[in-house]
Amino acid sequence: MNEIKSLEHATLKVPYEVFNKKYRNAQRVFDVEARQVVAAVGDLDVAVRNGSSAGDINNLLGGMVEKLTTMKRKASDAIAEEVQAAFVCKKRLEHLKEQAEAIVEPHTAQNKTTMTQWRKVRLDRMIVDYFLRNGYYDSANKLADSRNLRDLTNVDIYAAGAEVERELAARRTGRCLQWCADNRSKLRKLNSNMEFNTRIQEFIELVRSDKRLEAVRYAKKHFSTYEEGQLEDIQHCMGMLAFPKDTDVEPYARLLRTSRWQQLVAQFRWEHARLLHPARLPALPVTLQLGLAALNTPYPFLHNITASNPTCYKESTKVSGCPACQPPLNSLAATLPHAHCSHSRLVCRISNKPLNEHNQPMVLPNGQVYGEKALKEMMKEHGSIICPKTKEVFCMKRVEKVYVM
Amino acid sequence: MDSCLGVEQDLDKATNKFTAIHDHTNKVLQDLITQVEKLKQEISQQPENEQLSQEYTLLVSELAATLKQTVFQMSTEHRELHATVSRVGKSIDRHFIADYGAVAPKAELFCNEANRPIMEQAMAQHLYRQGLEDVGDVFVAEANIPPVERTCTFAQLQRCAAALADGDPSLALNWVEKRTQELAHSPLPFTLHRMQALKLAREQGVVAAIQYARKEFPAYASRHERQLQAAVCALAWCTPGAPAAPSHYAHLLDPKALGVEAAELFIRESCAVLRLAALSPLAGAVVAGARVLPALHDIRAKMSHPHVIAAWADDELPLEVELGEDGGGYHSVFACPILRQQASELNPPMRLLCGHVISRDALNKLAIGVKLKCPYCPMEQSPAEARQIYFS
Repeated sequence: MNEIKSLEHATLKVPYEVFNKKYRNAQRVFDVEARQVVAAVGDLDVAVRNGSSAGDINNLLGGMVEKLTTMKRKASDAIAEEVQAAFVCKKRLEHLKEQAEAIVEPHTAQNKTTMTQWRKVRLDRMIVDYFLRNGYYDSANKLADSRNLRDLTNVDIYAAGAEVERELAARRTGRCLQWCADNRSKLRKLNSNMEFNTRIQEFIELVRSDKRLEAVRYAKKHFSTYEEGQLEDIQHCMGMLAFPKDTDVEPYARLLRTSRWQQLVAQFRWEHARLLHPARLPALPVTLQLGLAALNTPYPFLHNITASNPTCYKESTKVSGCPACQPPLNSLAATLPHAHCSHSRLVCRISNKPLNEHNQPMVLPNGQVYGEKALKEMMKEHGSIICPKTKEVFCMKRVEKVYVM
Repeated sequence: MDSCLGVEQDLDKATNKFTAIHDHTNKVLQDLITQVEKLKQEISQQPENEQLSQEYTLLVSELAATLKQTVFQMSTEHRELHATVSRVGKSIDRHFIADYGAVAPKAELFCNEANRPIMEQAMAQHLYRQGLEDVGDVFVAEANIPPVERTCTFAQLQRCAAALADGDPSLALNWVEKRTQELAHSPLPFTLHRMQALKLAREQGVVAAIQYARKEFPAYASRHERQLQAAVCALAWCTPGAPAAPSHYAHLLDPKALGVEAAELFIRESCAVLRLAALSPLAGAVVAGARVLPALHDIRAKMSHPHVIAAWADDELPLEVELGEDGGGYHSVFACPILRQQASELNPPMRLLCGHVISRDALNKLAIGVKLKCPYCPMEQSPAEARQIYFS
């Protein structure tokens, strides 16, 4: 198992879904155009059988040439789109391979650079993905552009969704219903009620503008083929007809609230992401959570927390480089489990260098442990040892060795 | 790697088939068009108002039959590609793990309304630290999060690094010159000067480069002898029309790779000088998380036991993950060598009189009355003589 296998499924799957969709589109084009040609062939057959004149046949053949040319153009375009979509998949695969190749031999200097760069790109990709799935479209576009990541992220795929969201936010439902129609079979598979909810909104708007008769007609047209579980909502809708539009009777007041539009936007965002991504959450929060847990330690020791700052988690054992210690993430780490560890792994707090047989851990009389090298250096500079934590002063003689197995 | 290759195979197959069908349909349709046009030409020679002769009637019906058959066949051929397309999808599903979140069942809870602003703040902080101020500004406005402190230091460093990656070392050289003292033991100054020399060689010719090298290189001669030799030798291939360089110089002569490498070294060294973390908290945590995820998937695959998922409910991850040299090692961790348990507030590390360290629980278990024998050396002592120590 490696990082690519466990994290990059969506990177390939999302453009694949686009590819698949393009394939279906192309198939439709083929079917429609073939039918057109066949219809023309039928006309021709009839004309020949009826013994039409050469001029008529000539005209029919001219029409046939036109039909065939259209078919050729449309088919060619459709297939070109398919190939283009496959190419996007291919491009991302190449990007993943870069890392996969470097990981085989992770210790050469060149591969290290490749991997660090790759990880940087991965983080940027994750952030763009997070932005897109939370509706921060401008930020996502800007980041993707400034890092040149348009091909490796889904900004273009989300552009249509962003458009629908903007329309919904402006209280127009047309694009949303169009989207629902385009993805009907998939939405049904996911048991989505997006279209139904949008229809209800249209009904509500009719009531709001006091076109009640029209609303009834609308309901007849769209609500008569309801599905399981929708009946109650329809009943609420119909009940609403009996109340003035500024009623405060529930549930009608709730339906008539304008905040329902925002809910619709949120629902659309969620459904749109659900259609594209197999995983419920963007990768960023998941890895962030696991990463913080892996960096978490069961410290702090209570007595180390200073009186002046009793609430700040880990203030006393804070390490400047550790993500789990620094604001703002420290407050998240506080609620997470900590890493499992069965072997001691010590770091000198002064030099940030590991403590081992080359850099013996030494204990000061106050119980604080530091590395031998850092303490010797401090002796050379100051002539005495000042504990960086408590600011107490000791001489080297009182420093003792510690053996950690 | 295997997973990539597996998908690539299927994807390539699909692409090939689609390219083939593209050419094929074009060709077949063009053929049909020519055929129809040819027949049309011949018929238009016939007297216009008379009935078509027997011979032509036959030709027309034949052509009509072919047309019908061919366009249907084309549509069927395209339909048959469905298997190839869906094989790509299945291959992706097989070679990659669809639901990465499955091993972190509390992830949904983690993304709650209280935590989200904190996460987004960390993202904004990361963007600013990457020198992407404009993106950060847009994001802060769009996500409506409290403004994040912008650290100018990072932005400045990132600008130098970005220039380096673009092949221009002058900004970074400026920065380094002000800090010669602190960077006395760092390979950074020489790397930058070498880059500048090679850049001069490309832009102004080898003579300028050699002059620059004469001026700047001697200070580093003792520390970087081999690299210095290599750099000067590499100049030989910088003249226009020079043959391809041998492979061990190719690296030095590729300005892009050299720039990226120098940019990375610059960030690492400059952050070390300024005592800052090279990675932003977000980046650091994500690097670690990406390491943990496959390990968790591994363990889950090996033992599909509810315990593993439940392990998240505890206060500890179910396994130990090596985070690598740049991924972890921020804190000291003391694990008691007797109990194989991490020390905690209630069970802190204790130093015995002989200097060996065990946890307090282990100490209490090993003590017999007022006597305690160190498990690692022959020394006998009283448990009261042990002293608590702090690995900060």
